[in-house]
Amino acid sequence: MILLDRVTKNYNKRGTALKSISLHVEPKEFVIIVGPSGAGKSTLLKLLTREEKPTSGKIIVGGIDYETLKDKKIPLLRRKIGVVFQDFKLLPNKTVYENVAFALEVVGMGDKEIALTIPKVLDIVGLTGKESNYPSELSGGERQRVAIARAIARQPKILIADEPTGNLDADHAWDVIRVLEKINKYGTTVILTTHNQEIVNKLKRRVITIRDGQIVSDKAGGGYK
Amino acid sequence: MGRRAVGLKRVTESGIKNFFRNSWLTVAATAVMIVSLVIILSAVVLNVTARNAIKELSKNLKISIYLKDGATQKQISNLTTDIKSNNAVASVDYVSKADAQKQFNKTFQSDPNLISGLEILGTNTLPASLEVSVTDLSKINEVGAIPNAEKHKSAVESVTIGKTDVKKTIDRAASAQKFITLASVIAAIVFALVSMLIIFNTIRMAIFTRAEEIRIMKLIGATPTFIRGPFLIESSMYGIIAGLISSAIVVTGIFYLGMKISNQVEFAATYKYFTSVKVIIAMVCGAISVGILVGVISSLMAMKKHLRLKSW
Repeated sequence: MILLDRVTKNYNKRGTALKSISLHVEPKEFVIIVGPSGAGKSTLLKLLTREEKPTSGKIIVGGIDYETLKDKKIPLLRRKIGVVFQDFKLLPNKTVYENVAFALEVVGMGDKEIALTIPKVLDIVGLTGKESNYPSELSGGERQRVAIARAIARQPKILIADEPTGNLDADHAWDVIRVLEKINKYGTTVILTTHNQEIVNKLKRRVITIRDGQIVSDKAGGGYK
Repeated sequence: MGRRAVGLKRVTESGIKNFFRNSWLTVAATAVMIVSLVIILSAVVLNVTARNAIKELSKNLKISIYLKDGATQKQISNLTTDIKSNNAVASVDYVSKADAQKQFNKTFQSDPNLISGLEILGTNTLPASLEVSVTDLSKINEVGAIPNAEKHKSAVESVTIGKTDVKKTIDRAASAQKFITLASVIAAIVFALVSMLIIFNTIRMAIFTRAEEIRIMKLIGATPTFIRGPFLIESSMYGIIAGLISSAIVVTGIFYLGMKISNQVEFAATYKYFTSVKVIIAMVCGAISVGILVGVISSLMAMKKHLRLKSW
């Protein structure tokens, strides 16, 4: 469960990014956040991954109150939240297998356990057989699915996808979205930001629209305005 | 294996991998570290050698009190008691005229002309003497002044402190030792600072080139220890490799130069000391520890400045 209560974020130079936002996301929900560039979507996601601290307001994710969360515990929080970015953020000198394994090594999983886990997540994202390819040998859609595999390998409760289709053509974008839907069906909360009208309209999920740092609409099964 | 052990193994592996990845910076950092460790090690070796040599030479440094032929037994024993009352005196040996003659003959046995020349004189002209040795060289003049007192005048012919050339050698060695210490301390500090700067820079570059990797690590929940670990291992590697090479250089130097001077009495004990297995192992371990210390300190400074782990 994600709870934001009157959250405001001021940046020193760029002014206010979020103005007193309140939001409630249930477990296993699929939420789409839309809005023009600079509306505050990225700031919202950075607050959830605790890359940024709110200026005021309360954030509680999975029972963890960010206000009382010690810096030392941040790595543990991050392990419960998977993140996927528009620019994939894969390590270019590591193979698909190594990129996914990296996320598991970081949390101290044994090599045998890693070897058992990776085929399963590559199967979920449809990349079986690409284990030893390097990111440069893959298409954009495939790269993004590697990033998703890395994000879900640790079985996070929440998956945050920040414009995952932003750099992809329509076909590849849909490949990625279908993977996200599949992951959501397995029980992971998905928070997706996008500019793609077609995706928003076809998915028929809860859509939250942010403009100028405020939530202007929050509709279940909604479309893009 | 436990999670902790797995983590330690991974951190070590990636640290070693990174060490070999940044080739030329690695070479530069290691080379400078080798130079500084060689200087530090040589300074220690030279200091110990000089100190031992001075100690050895000092043993030969004695006060000779030459007695008048007419000195009575009582005068001599009074003088002996007076000298022995000084704390710095190690021993007082009486050398009779006959003993002096024997010693003279022994010393110059290879020079029959000199001995026969003395025989021509007919009588033994060598004086009896008291040979005084001291435990503390700085007190030698003080002890040497005792026989010059008024009450001993009638028994004492003359007083010689040391063999002048030996004393000069010792003084020279002592001032050389002081110079070596000062110069090596300065050089060691300068080179240690230079190698710290280079390692600092190497780690800084490594942090910059791996900025993306570090950001990803942070986002997927790596602990600060897991992120810092490889950098610490990498900088320790400079210390380990530089420590091994520098102590190899210095030990080779000791064997090579030592062989030439080890037959001289003032260096024999020192040579034996430095070529013993125990001392060689101690030198290797010492060099490696100093190297690791320098490496770890500089990489910690680089990480503090450039690896902003505080702002997660």
